[in-house]
Amino acid sequence: MYGAFTLSQSDKRPMYFQIMEQIKQRIMVGDWAEGQPIPSIRQLAVGLQISVITVKRAYYELEREGVIVTQHGKGSQVASTPGLGARLREQELEQHLEQAARIASQLGMPPKRLAERLREAGDRVAEKDRELI
Amino acid sequence: MTSSVIGHLILKDWRLNRRLISLCIGVGLIALVIAQYGGQVVRLLGSVWFFVSLCILGSMLPASAILNERKKQTLAFVMSLPVSSVQYAIAKALSTSAMFVVPWLTLVISALVFIETGRSIPHGTIPMLLIVAMLPLVAFCLISAAALVGESEGWLMATSILCNSSYWLVWYLLARIASLAANWTRPVAVWNSTALTILSVELGLIASIVGLALFLQSRKRDFI
Amino acid sequence: MNDLATDLAFELSGVCKKYRYFTLEDIHLKLPRGQIMGLIGANGAGKSTTIRVLMGLVHQDSGEVRVLGHRMPAEQVAAKWDIGFASEDMRLYDSLTLDWPMGFMRSIYPNWDGAYAQILLKRFGLRAEQKMKGFSHGQRVKASLLLVLARKPQLLVLDEPTTGLDPVARHEILRELTGVMAEEGRSILFSSHNTQDVEQISDQITFIDRGRIIDSMDKETYLDRWRRLRLEVPLGTELPPLPGIVGVERQGRLAVATSNDFVPDLTHAYENTGARVQSIENMTLEEIFVANVEHSREEVEA
Repeated sequence: MYGAFTLSQSDKRPMYFQIMEQIKQRIMVGDWAEGQPIPSIRQLAVGLQISVITVKRAYYELEREGVIVTQHGKGSQVASTPGLGARLREQELEQHLEQAARIASQLGMPPKRLAERLREAGDRVAEKDRELI
Repeated sequence: MTSSVIGHLILKDWRLNRRLISLCIGVGLIALVIAQYGGQVVRLLGSVWFFVSLCILGSMLPASAILNERKKQTLAFVMSLPVSSVQYAIAKALSTSAMFVVPWLTLVISALVFIETGRSIPHGTIPMLLIVAMLPLVAFCLISAAALVGESEGWLMATSILCNSSYWLVWYLLARIASLAANWTRPVAVWNSTALTILSVELGLIASIVGLALFLQSRKRDFI
Repeated sequence: MNDLATDLAFELSGVCKKYRYFTLEDIHLKLPRGQIMGLIGANGAGKSTTIRVLMGLVHQDSGEVRVLGHRMPAEQVAAKWDIGFASEDMRLYDSLTLDWPMGFMRSIYPNWDGAYAQILLKRFGLRAEQKMKGFSHGQRVKASLLLVLARKPQLLVLDEPTTGLDPVARHEILRELTGVMAEEGRSILFSSHNTQDVEQISDQITFIDRGRIIDSMDKETYLDRWRRLRLEVPLGTELPPLPGIVGVERQGRLAVATSNDFVPDLTHAYENTGARVQSIENMTLEEIFVANVEHSREEVEA
């Protein structure tokens, strides 16, 4: 269950954050389904060879965001909210869009130009997808 | 439970030093056999060898059993076990004494048996034999105490050298005591007050050295 | 012995120990059960001394030491039944084979898990029938750890368990150490100057320098509080001292400010002076440690 988790200390983002991201990824791609039980904090810590406190933090933040649910004595599971995977993907998109907007503002790019660039990027991606088929 | 830890520590010391002990017993017994036969010189050599093997054991054993534990850094391993520093000292004292006393007793009793069964050595030598054989035992206690309490090679070497170089002097002085020397050639062992006094002095020395060492050891606050 | 005391794996209060050339001063340290504490310090900072006081091997001059509820060094025998200790300078008996200390441990400790010991032999790549004088440094360290791990003690006290090891061996050991956490209630104290290992597996982190504890808190809080701010400052502008900033390095228009108590207000405060905050970076434990030591040494000298 922990096989594909890769944590890197050279990654600038804190470890608990990386764990959160990778858990969300699993939910987004559908590997971890809504309502599915997930490893306990201790199990994950031992499996990943990291401190319990880091996993605790990751689970705490995930619970705050409504991504997972922990019941005392029963362990943790993915939240049963339908469409959770899609919602997480939406959030990821939001983050990327905000980042793009931030950089655009640093470059002094007007919003209209940014929208154009986004459309052009969308076209490029669609082109590449067609080439792969 | 703790007594088993002490027991295991004692067994450990035996396991580590069994070669040295067997060598000493072996050499001592060979020396005894040689002392029975051959001419005067060979006999003398045999007797000297007999005592020297005890002397060597007396100074090598403390080095191997006590000091090496500190030098070779195995002391941390021992102290990580459920024993206190006093219990460790007791275990050490017991094992080291046993490791000396067993060969010592073996050789002394063998010597007495040889004297009893062979006809070449008069029984009058027995008191002298015991007195002289006690010397390495006293030396051993002193060197062990120095190694245990002094915790350094310096102390061990100093007492070793002191003891090893004093043997000759003590042997010489003992040989000069008229009331002892006179009875050597007698066919019967003569236990006069001189002999008994000297023996009790030796035993008293052993007791005080051991007592002092344990006392000093219990006052230590740092183990490592 | 009150119940509260047994919730802690260990507690040192006001411990002092004076040597000729080194003094351990006013050490306050504690670890709740079931957690791992990493003790970081330079060589000679006092890690080994602290550990030895904890183990009752060295009698403190003042202060109280309690380990698993037992007072040390008075109750060290009772405590050591449940403590597994291994230190980097510890040696086993060279002339003997590895199965000798394994048998020794098995006959003394009732908790010895023979099956686990065999698993560890395989995982660590050790041969029980090999004489220990032939062991490499890495094998020796792994052998010592095997002997304490297979006992499954309540508390593991390890003095530099990964020092001098190759990356593979380090990985093997970290795996076993985190594996200990699978059982609730077992605790580990380990000292290291390898900050990466400490950052990876510790729940609590303690910094020690020149005989004093500089800081001791849980790892996530540490990593959260420390930040590096990269600033672009117009020439002629002086950066004011701000609360929570422990150091500023400046060269021309570029400055780097290090904070040990970061709040977003700091960013605003800098921007109000006309500086532009280029980036706010998390710091690795190593960077935090170095900055913390430098800061504390400056404070001591002041």
